[in-house]
Amino acid sequence: MFKQLITESMSKSPWLFHINAGSCNGCDIEIVAVLTPRYDAERLGFKLAGSPRQADIVLVTGPVTKQSLPRVLRAISQVPEPRVIVTMGSCPQSGNVFRGSYSVAGPLSKYVDVDVDIAGCAPKPEAVIDGLAKAMGILAEKRAAMYKKDGKKAPAEPVQEVIAEEAPAAQAEVPVEAAQEGGEQ
Amino acid sequence: MTIITDALTYLAYILIFPGFLFCFLSGMLLCGIDRKLVARMQKRVGPPVLQPFYDFFKLLGKETIVPAAANKTVFLMAPLVGLAAQVVLQLFIPVFSFHAFRGVADVIVVLYLLLIPALSVILGAASSGSPYAGVGLSREMVTVLAVELPLVLVLLAVAKTVGNALGTGLCFSLTDIVRCQMENGSLITRLSMIPAAVAMLLIIPGETGSHPFDAAEAETEICEGMLAEYSGAPLAVYKLSHAVKLLTMTTLFTALFLGGIGGGVQQLVSGLAPSLAGGIAIVLEIIILFLLSVVLVAVTVSFTHAVTARLRIEQLFKFYWTVVTGLAAISVVLAWYGL
Ligand code: SF4
Repeated sequence: MFKQLITESMSKSPWLFHINAGSCNGCDIEIVAVLTPRYDAERLGFKLAGSPRQADIVLVTGPVTKQSLPRVLRAISQVPEPRVIVTMGSCPQSGNVFRGSYSVAGPLSKYVDVDVDIAGCAPKPEAVIDGLAKAMGILAEKRAAMYKKDGKKAPAEPVQEVIAEEAPAAQAEVPVEAAQEGGEQ
Repeated sequence: MTIITDALTYLAYILIFPGFLFCFLSGMLLCGIDRKLVARMQKRVGPPVLQPFYDFFKLLGKETIVPAAANKTVFLMAPLVGLAAQVVLQLFIPVFSFHAFRGVADVIVVLYLLLIPALSVILGAASSGSPYAGVGLSREMVTVLAVELPLVLVLLAVAKTVGNALGTGLCFSLTDIVRCQMENGSLITRLSMIPAAVAMLLIIPGETGSHPFDAAEAETEICEGMLAEYSGAPLAVYKLSHAVKLLTMTTLFTALFLGGIGGGVQQLVSGLAPSLAGGIAIVLEIIILFLLSVVLVAVTVSFTHAVTARLRIEQLFKFYWTVVTGLAAISVVLAWYGL
């Protein structure tokens, strides 16, 4: 019963940790909009946590620049399990208008498993709340899975390894993609 | 035989009422009501009143990370010590006519016990090896220092006034303070005690580290400060002892200044149903105590949270050592002249 109580609480009290990975600030402002009286995400139990250690949902905005990549991965690896990674805006999904820039190492899904993508530039507050609501469900599922498996998987190691391997590769790839996508944006 | 029944009674006091279970339920409920009220004051819908319970159980289900730089034993034990001290503290605060423990000078014990939760957070933060926690704990120490002086003066003023009424000089027994008020009317009705009561109201948000006075836990500038490295179950325990602290501070205010309400309850009950007086009175007293706590939290914590912005640490210190201490000192002087 106690375990069930915990699993149920998981989906009712998601604390957010927001990482700005080189965002243009548009998405960050929309996060603030989500917390305003008009949309009030706190009614679903959302709270902005000040420290990654206390967070359940990591909200990444921005195209993941080369400078921010190691820091983003480090911050994510500090979030205790179960955790859900949500990207906000088109930037961390595809690079958006910054795609092809020499300084962009994204998309984020190259380095970590992203659970929910919220598309838009910047996404509407409604879309953000919808995405976060999905994340809450995933959080409870992850907790249930964790309890079934009994053993927790080590969260930090895989993430850190990827940094070393993939970061140079990303560097090489970017110019090619940039050439293809140049006209589209 | 009496030893066994005594032991069982005390066990019930510690575990159920006014110990752990009561502290857990009413503290969390107070915390939830506070969040709801703040939200309503800001024209938001706000989280459900049961939100702190969800937060608590969720945190229990999360992974607990102990930083490599931390001293593991201290890091994990500090929250438990803080919570234990907080609950013991609640045992010393009488619920109008009911009291679990009583002593000749429990006001002094209360003063010491109030420090332990703050010290435990400081200890835990210091052992976590995080620079953010370092900044937070230095601020917390300043906050504790700032709040302590006016608190001592308030308690002194109350002790002197009650001592005068009982003819014993200074009265440092909370039970006697409450009993005296039940016979002679609440202390807040005396003009000389009003400054002390206002000072105490201002001490509540400082002591509980709520909004204008939360420089030590500033989540926007120093990553939750002292709690920066805490996650999972230890964090849940900290959140719980913070919630209990709300309850403790407001019930302490009730015991010090509004004790006279207990006399009214007793009269009312014995007038209505003399045969059942004892049982009904205690239930009614608990309910009234909780409602008073809600009102006090609404006035001191929620309202100030909704209308103010965070003070810098030196502003906080200055505020407590001038305005609040001044108010308390006025009451002490008036009490000493027997007003
Ligand atoms: S998605 Fe648009 S608004 Fe958001 S960070 Fe990228 S460019 Fe800015």
